Amino acid sequence: MDRVYRIGIDEVPKRLNLNDCEQLRLIFIVMPGVSADIPFEINIEKEGVELEILGLYLSPHSERVKFNITVRHMVGGSHSRQLFKGIVGGSARAEFDGLVYVAKGAQKTEAFQENHSLLLDNGATVETHPQLEIYADDVKCSHGATSGYLNPDELFYMRSRGIPEAEARKLQMISFVSPVISHLNETMQNQIISRL
Amino acid sequence: MDNLLEIKDLHAGIEGKEILKGIDLSIRPGEIHAIMGPNGAGKSTLSAVLAGRPDFSVTQGSISFAGHDLLAMSPEERAWAGIFLSFQYPIQIPGVSITNFLKSAVAAKRKATGEPELSPAQFLKLLKEKMALVKMKGEFAKRDVNVGFSGGEKKRNEILQMAMLDPVLSILDETDSGLDVDALKIVADGVNALRSPEKSAIIITHYKHLLDLITPDVVHVLKNGRIVATGGLEIADRIQNEGFDGING
Amino acid sequence: MADEKDILAAAVERDYSEGFVTEIEQEFVPKGLNEEIIRLISAKKQEPAWLLDFRLDAFRKWQQMTPPKWGHLSRLPEIDFQDIIYYAAPKSDSDRPKEIDPALQETFDKLGIPTGEREVLAGVKSKVAVDAVFDSVSVSTTFRRTLAEKGIIFCSFSEAVREHPDLVRRYLASVVPVGDNFYAALNSAVFSDGSFCYIPKGVKCPMDLSSYFRINASGTGQFERTLIIADEGSSLSYMEGCTAPMRDENQLHAAVVEIIVEKDADVRYSTVQNWYPGDAQGRGGILNLVTKRGLCRGENSHLSWTQVETGSAITWKYPSSILLGDNSSSEFYSVALTNHYQQADTGTKMIHIGKNTRSRILSKGISAGFSENSYRGLVRMNPGADGARNFSQCDSLLIGDNCGAHTFPVIQNLNPRASVEHEATTSRISEDQLFYCNQRGLATEDAIGLIVNGYAREVLSRLPMEFAVEAQKLLSVNLEGSIG
Repeated sequence: MDRVYRIGIDEVPKRLNLNDCEQLRLIFIVMPGVSADIPFEINIEKEGVELEILGLYLSPHSERVKFNITVRHMVGGSHSRQLFKGIVGGSARAEFDGLVYVAKGAQKTEAFQENHSLLLDNGATVETHPQLEIYADDVKCSHGATSGYLNPDELFYMRSRGIPEAEARKLQMISFVSPVISHLNETMQNQIISRL
Repeated sequence: MDNLLEIKDLHAGIEGKEILKGIDLSIRPGEIHAIMGPNGAGKSTLSAVLAGRPDFSVTQGSISFAGHDLLAMSPEERAWAGIFLSFQYPIQIPGVSITNFLKSAVAAKRKATGEPELSPAQFLKLLKEKMALVKMKGEFAKRDVNVGFSGGEKKRNEILQMAMLDPVLSILDETDSGLDVDALKIVADGVNALRSPEKSAIIITHYKHLLDLITPDVVHVLKNGRIVATGGLEIADRIQNEGFDGING
Repeated sequence: MADEKDILAAAVERDYSEGFVTEIEQEFVPKGLNEEIIRLISAKKQEPAWLLDFRLDAFRKWQQMTPPKWGHLSRLPEIDFQDIIYYAAPKSDSDRPKEIDPALQETFDKLGIPTGEREVLAGVKSKVAVDAVFDSVSVSTTFRRTLAEKGIIFCSFSEAVREHPDLVRRYLASVVPVGDNFYAALNSAVFSDGSFCYIPKGVKCPMDLSSYFRINASGTGQFERTLIIADEGSSLSYMEGCTAPMRDENQLHAAVVEIIVEKDADVRYSTVQNWYPGDAQGRGGILNLVTKRGLCRGENSHLSWTQVETGSAITWKYPSSILLGDNSSSEFYSVALTNHYQQADTGTKMIHIGKNTRSRILSKGISAGFSENSYRGLVRMNPGADGARNFSQCDSLLIGDNCGAHTFPVIQNLNPRASVEHEATTSRISEDQLFYCNQRGLATEDAIGLIVNGYAREVLSRLPMEFAVEAQKLLSVNLEGSIG
């Protein structure tokens, strides 16, 4: 089951306990111009859950966006995967605070978390706190975080094939956000792409 | 002459599921036995039980090895007594070079058997000699055990370890799977070079190719946890032509 | 399965062979902390007025502060700072005896620390100059004359205050300000001794320098202060080791290390921390609460931290680098092993200020028993840090299912031309790995030693040779002869 939350439009629950659902994908979208605090906690209380949380934040002006995502594996045998991607420019500030917690005894848990941000301008700020708190040994957990800029080699490659710089940049950004937006319907995908 | 290995009415399995349902098998010093059989027959279970893998349990029967109760021995005691298992899927040990790994293993065995410790120079000489046997270059020994190895490299590394540890009973668990012709030849040459009248081997395989290169004395067919046929190389030919379906006890 | 866990537990057991007590007559200041005690310590050390003022200022700041609570250290007790003796020194007639006391000599011999130059010159030990600190005082510093010929100053902190007051005054608290944090403020108020090192312009230090810290007296804390200055184009490899007796009480160790690295200079700072960790039930052990920080002040300066943390009941420690000079670089390589009820919260901070600054973090945590092991770190890219890069990797290895392994990094990027990459993973020693080693004849405890050392190898390989050997031994049991 997929649930899409457009921050500032849709109501977002603060807390979910998963004890009957098998498969769930949550997608958080923060469009340009939206400032928000997004605290969200999810407790996995059942074996065999496949949870995916995707997030996208586009903050090109002076937005303040703060995700505070906690995923707790209270029992073993479930999988969670998080992917948050953001493009931050102007004087905007984006913060991702993500905790993966694996309780004692929650063996065979698999939990992955990634947060990647692009900074476009001087004055933009990205802060990431990817946290793992693990009390079981037979688990696979990892997190990855990067923050950086559009790859100049890629840009040059495209320009050398005749693609104008502005368009090449846009293509890079589309490629950057596509792992998240590929799960959205076409209307929303187009909305997002038009705002890049 | 006494049997080196004697398995009687062996029943064994994993997580409560019985896989071996009464195996009898005797191997004399110097003999090479091939065990063939379809997937799921229990071939790998047999090798795991012989080496003492902790997650397999023996529910009935006995195994004696060189006069000792093998089932009462820990995996490392079995290794010191001269049992070597070439793993079907060799395990990675990041950060530990082949040299260090083998140095530890050889030292542990020599200590357990009361042989004097090898000096670093003696050890390196031995390593070089055995590496030549499996056609490995010197730098190979600096690599971490099985980390980033190709299928062929993993199997050659197993044979190198076998050569270094000088076992009395070698168990080759599908050492031929996934090897190309050249790699297969290297492995077989390595095993043949280590043959002697005192040393025995069990070769577990699906296919006859390896048996063309390492001639076994006896061939067994394992199906559904039982040995259903025992004979000479002609059985392997029959399997090659007719498949396992044609062989029934 | 229970059996296997017992085997794992037994395999990570180790004896603490440094846990003996030296019987020697010592003098103490009265228990407790107030301005009078600070004046007394300062007077004992015949310090100049500016240093007493420095201490009193720190003390007043400290009184306004509260202990930090953010560490993942549930077993860090409430410390009664009035129940600690802040100064303990072996009794001696003169302030600085020519000959080291035989009992102390024996202690350091037993610990394998060369306090004489003869055996080093005879080639018995590799060439390392040692400053040996026993409780509150430095009792011996070797090779001072050899080093002095090159203009290198290597002496106890107290001597540096007397003989090189200008240098000390210029650099003291220039990297770790007095009020930086609660424990640094405490140290600034009561620090007793430590090592001082100055490498002049263009000089490559001809031997490794090292400080060895020994806590001996009961009821005391150790508050040493280390100050290292590497002037332009110089280079230095510095090592630090430490041990303490086995006691049921907790003892406090609150040190401050400051390093200044000037243009084109290169400093490598290595620590093997083996303070008494407490017993298997979690009684006793050192509370290791230290502040270590380096300032890469000049262009192209370089500072690398390598630490192997195996001891202490509690470790709260974040060796950090401030990358101020353009093109300066720093690394942090760490192995932290916790067992029984030990808790470690350790990591680093990399503050990128200059252009094209680079940093790398490699942290390997190993938790066993009922211990908790956390990596905590900060990577910050300031607005001016164009072209700066960081790469961090934090791995945790869990041995058994009663321990915890945690990763708490903070990444702040304020520069669109800087990049930060962070990765963290957790793993355990798999039953397959153990069985594979067993099958090759390695007993389980040897196999664990081998696997753990392999896991930590990338860090261990950064240590100076002699230290690496010691660290390998600490990380495993019974590895004798198995590591080449």
